[in-house]
Amino acid sequence: MTIITVIIGTALGILLGFLIPTIPYSASKYLAIAIVAALDSVFGGIASHIKKNFDLKVFISGFFVNAIIAMLLTYLGQRLNVDIYLAAIIVFVGRMFNNLGIIRRYYLTKISQKFSKNTTKKH
Amino acid sequence: MKNKSLGIALGIVCFVLGLALTLQIRTMTIENSVVSQTFADDELKDSLLQWKEKYEKAVANLDASSKELDEIRQSATTNASNAEEKNARLKTNNLLLGTTNVQGNGIVIELADGKSTGMILDASNLLIHDGNLREIINELANAGAEAIEINGQRIVNSTYIMCAGNVILVNGEKISSPCTIKAIGQQERLLGAVGRAGGILQQLEMNDLSVNISKVSNIKINKFNGALTKKYMRDRGE
Repeated sequence: MTIITVIIGTALGILLGFLIPTIPYSASKYLAIAIVAALDSVFGGIASHIKKNFDLKVFISGFFVNAIIAMLLTYLGQRLNVDIYLAAIIVFVGRMFNNLGIIRRYYLTKISQKFSKNTTKKH
Repeated sequence: MKNKSLGIALGIVCFVLGLALTLQIRTMTIENSVVSQTFADDELKDSLLQWKEKYEKAVANLDASSKELDEIRQSATTNASNAEEKNARLKTNNLLLGTTNVQGNGIVIELADGKSTGMILDASNLLIHDGNLREIINELANAGAEAIEINGQRIVNSTYIMCAGNVILVNGEKISSPCTIKAIGQQERLLGAVGRAGGILQQLEMNDLSVNISKVSNIKINKFNGALTKKYMRDRGE
């Protein structure tokens, strides 16, 4: 069920992305930072799912609110001539690597467990 | 129930993410090398500021070295036996070269582009051209003008007057309408040269340009503020 909705959602999103007209260049900066924020939320969601403390409300609100706040900060930075978006990117990407590390370790232990089971069965 | 809402929420999230990613990638491929473009902009800004600073430094240097030159000249002339004579010659030569601020009686010509009345066949006739200025300068020099200036640009040996689109270059500086030409010399002769019947100013007036000539006593004309260079010619020592 979950897998199906994820695939359908992604496919629909990509399809619509190809159909609607492109955005102006000045706005693409904001979209980029929003994408980074959204990706961070997604990886955070997966990591929390692995840690078994996944909360749908936290996940959804984090996804949208983080993206919007990142865009607002970028706008503020442009007004003040400070590259605030760099700070946002550092935080988001740093967290992304943390979460990816958690995911990687989880699957590594899972795979190694499987291997050890297989080897014990053979013997 | 909980599983269903989770699925829908994840679907929406993936939809938004997919949409945003595709849109962004498409925008970036259309606006190719946009990243380098913004970098190029920043670099241009930086180099502009650097050149500005360099220019300001160069101007300061020029001021300092011209002061130094004056001092050296003075000390050199005071030491020599025929100092007085040399100093006087130096002064007159500088006066003639146009490297000093001068004043004297002369005439002032004020020119301005004409206003279109809607009946003009060729709007070019209403404008001041580089050729007009050259002709006026020629007439003034012919009538014995000793110092001439157009909109603050002193006419010297190396002066050129060129058309540059909608402006005129004098000594490489842009000038445009209205033009004020100041000339020091014998007033009647200068006036006669440019203002005679069928002369250059009358022709311009017939083209509906606004022309105004006046005799002025004690006109102040500033020195030439560029560099007079000598790179290829040498004294033959004859």
